[in-house]
Amino acid sequence: MLRRLRSIAIGSAGLAAVVGALLCATPLAAQSSAAPLETTDETGRHVAIPQPVRRIVSLAPSITETLYALGAQDRLVGVTDYSDYPSEAKQKPNIGGSINPNLEQLVALKPDLVVATRALNRRETVDALARLGFAVYATDERTVEGVLVSTERLADVIGAHERGAELVAGLRQRLAELKRTLEGRAPRRVLFVVWHDPLISIGRETFLADALRWAGAESVVNSSQDWPRLSLEEVVRLQPEYLVFADSHAEQGALNFEALRERPGWRNLDAVRAKRIAIISDAVNRPCPRLVDAIEQLARQLHPEAFADKQAAPAECASCAR
Amino acid sequence: MSPEMTSSVAQQGAADTARRSSAEIALSVEQASYAYSASARQAPTFTLEATSFHARQREIIAILGPNASGKSTLLQLVAGTLAPLSGRVQLDGFEISRLDTRTRAQRVAMVQQESPLIFPVRAWEYVLQGRHPYGRTLRFETDEDCGIAMNALAQVGAEHLRDRWMDKISGGEKQRVILARALAQQPLLMLLDEPTLHLDIGAQVDLLERLRHLAEENRYIVAVVTHELNLAAEFADRVVLLHRGKCLRVGSAAEVYQQELLEQVFEAPLAVEQTASGRPRVVVRGKNTQ
Amino acid sequence: MRPVTLRRVLWTCSALAAVLLVVVVLALKLGAVPISVTDLALSLGRVAIGRSDQLPSEYSVIVFGLRWPRILLGILVGAALSVAGTGFQALLRNPLADPYVLGVSSGAALGAIISLIASPQFPLVTPLAAFLGAALTIAAVYLLGQREGQLDSGTLLLAGIISASFLSAVIMFLMTTLAGRDLRGMAFWLMGDLSTPLPAGLRWILLAGLLGAVAAIYTTAADLNLLIAGEREALHLGVDVTRVKLVVYISASVLTGLAVSVSGAIGYVGLLVPHVMRLLFGSDHRLLIPTAALGGAIAVVLADTLARTIVAPTELPVGAMTAMAGAPFFIYLLRRRLP
Repeated sequence: MLRRLRSIAIGSAGLAAVVGALLCATPLAAQSSAAPLETTDETGRHVAIPQPVRRIVSLAPSITETLYALGAQDRLVGVTDYSDYPSEAKQKPNIGGSINPNLEQLVALKPDLVVATRALNRRETVDALARLGFAVYATDERTVEGVLVSTERLADVIGAHERGAELVAGLRQRLAELKRTLEGRAPRRVLFVVWHDPLISIGRETFLADALRWAGAESVVNSSQDWPRLSLEEVVRLQPEYLVFADSHAEQGALNFEALRERPGWRNLDAVRAKRIAIISDAVNRPCPRLVDAIEQLARQLHPEAFADKQAAPAECASCAR
Repeated sequence: MSPEMTSSVAQQGAADTARRSSAEIALSVEQASYAYSASARQAPTFTLEATSFHARQREIIAILGPNASGKSTLLQLVAGTLAPLSGRVQLDGFEISRLDTRTRAQRVAMVQQESPLIFPVRAWEYVLQGRHPYGRTLRFETDEDCGIAMNALAQVGAEHLRDRWMDKISGGEKQRVILARALAQQPLLMLLDEPTLHLDIGAQVDLLERLRHLAEENRYIVAVVTHELNLAAEFADRVVLLHRGKCLRVGSAAEVYQQELLEQVFEAPLAVEQTASGRPRVVVRGKNTQ
Repeated sequence: MRPVTLRRVLWTCSALAAVLLVVVVLALKLGAVPISVTDLALSLGRVAIGRSDQLPSEYSVIVFGLRWPRILLGILVGAALSVAGTGFQALLRNPLADPYVLGVSSGAALGAIISLIASPQFPLVTPLAAFLGAALTIAAVYLLGQREGQLDSGTLLLAGIISASFLSAVIMFLMTTLAGRDLRGMAFWLMGDLSTPLPAGLRWILLAGLLGAVAAIYTTAADLNLLIAGEREALHLGVDVTRVKLVVYISASVLTGLAVSVSGAIGYVGLLVPHVMRLLFGSDHRLLIPTAALGGAIAVVLADTLARTIVAPTELPVGAMTAMAGAPFFIYLLRRRLP
């Protein structure tokens, strides 16, 4: 009996030694040739980014788009689901969803920098990566201006300063132009329909609400939640002038609307009866440079008389990467 | 098992045996009463009035009465799970309800209808549970415990049942195993609550005869709660007759079984007959007899 | 006649520990990124002899930075939930009792969520809040499960199911109305998530709490064997029923609270594992409790490994895997009497 206990004790001690060694896991050692860039990201976290940044992983589709717009696509080594614009992005290695990316695959890609966004990614993901020794830069775009600033800062961080400055300058110019065009015109009261069943709209503190303002519109929904769920009666009471839908394909959007018109409740909306709807590119959903396209598109649909004397809208955004 | 533990158990066993074979140990119930009430403020809904009786070793006492006469309450008072409102319930000079649970379980064993087992056990496991009061906090049974358990099974004639599952044996066999568990507790006082309830007559007789034999051999004090008039008459040395919370009479069966008294208590037409052995027999009086 | 002896307990536990070791090595090897056995062996070997700086860095991070913490957490959470389930089954005399089914996990989750909403800057308060949630829920279920003053099996189950639904509804309410941006991950966490690494202080609290609570329950193991036959009978056999119930109740709540606070609501482990261990090793709690702990560790590590490899790169929540195995087993138990 005693002998058995002794052998069990020795075995346990051996096991404990191995376990103890395992517990002292070593984090990834940074392999950089120059001193890292110390900065603070948009959520207030301090980040030390190894220089130069050769391998980037994007944890959100909007980040992917922005990186392409900044010309950094060759350095992009990993993306998450729905990174579908531009279409080449679909060829990049996919590490899973934004909410729950596969950290193992991410680690295997050996990135110098991981870019996340507060709107879509989880704090836990960012913390976990930071704890493993990765540089994680998180953006937090709350307004349209915020999107531009964010793009500039991201450009600085990845070492594409000139490209970023150029891109943002062009976007600012377009926005200023748009503002002039819409000068003096009353903003349209709109309901931005994120989803129709259940009816979900946008909160006042989202960048989408800000985008609407730039386009000469005002969301009738005044909620502090980001994605408030509404009842149809509430909307009927508010009687927005326009309904705004975002769809990747305009024709599909129009068809969907036709189906929606027949539904009870929707029929009671003036906007539906008068067919005052605007369908814009779903770029509006992403806080990236293409947002400006969508804003212009919306402005044209809501205030057509303001653009009567202007040339037709450019088919594509000249400054966006293909 | 380590030698130290074996010797301490042996010492305890020796002390018990010594006490048992020495001068008389008695169960003494003096003016014990109890009252139930639904809540502290309400009036009692049931009372057991002051009851007294005594029992010595090797005696079988029957606590007799119809339903709701207070039998179970009295049994619980004797078992020590209830403390009497007034009066005393003592075993060997100790107030039973004031003993700590462990010591009490070493002195008083209860045989009652078992609750259905959700996780079935084998008979030997069941009997081995009777050794629980003798162990320390985290204990494993010793060889001596196993010996006592097997011995207990043998004493009730259920050795052959030892590897059987408890929920697969018959009612009579189960009752014997439950009795064996009580024996394994090596108590001074053995209490049985309606032990013959679901048994056929053969099993009933078998059980009570064993009980008589065990009481004699192991010097137990035995108290049996029952409403079986004739079995009580046959096997009990003394009868405590209860009726609606009142103890009407204590004495031998011959003394207690009076026709008018029994008819009043059990509210049935009864007649008491004498038998050759001197123990009375109760029969139902038909319309023709008087 | 073969009563449980200390020797048998130690041998059985050693055997299960060996199985756990194999499962752990398997879990270290398997994952979205393939790591060959030789690489793994070399890595482990180098770590064991202290030359961890020679490891190819991404393997080191994946195996020791990502997989190993999850596995460790899985072991602790699995052991905690299984022993809690064993305790509840004995306490409530119901083979279907399990922290999840009884709603205790939901109560703990609610406690954790409230503490995260109220004071996100003090993460160490979360396990305490979860424990309170668990304790209050089990008390409520215990009281609701009484019929005429006695614990009734069917009523108890009903009380548990109702509590679970109610608490889940409250959780949903809180999440939809108060959901700030940082609580988005809460929905994911609620389904059971072992991927969040613990802050260092929490890790030690978890370990200490686990060992303490399991030890406390283990001291009542012999009493529990008697208690499941009925409180009255246990009392007559010398069990201090009140004390035992209190110890088990508090310990099982501590275990559930700890497990839920660090990994969300992983269901059915407390139900499945004790039953399997009973089938294999019998119902004696002196053997059941340690085997349930080890069995739970094995089960959760296996479930987690499956969850992150079946549809890689997507990770399924661990709670989904245990529910997929556990729910059919639950139904099976409902329909047949135990042997």
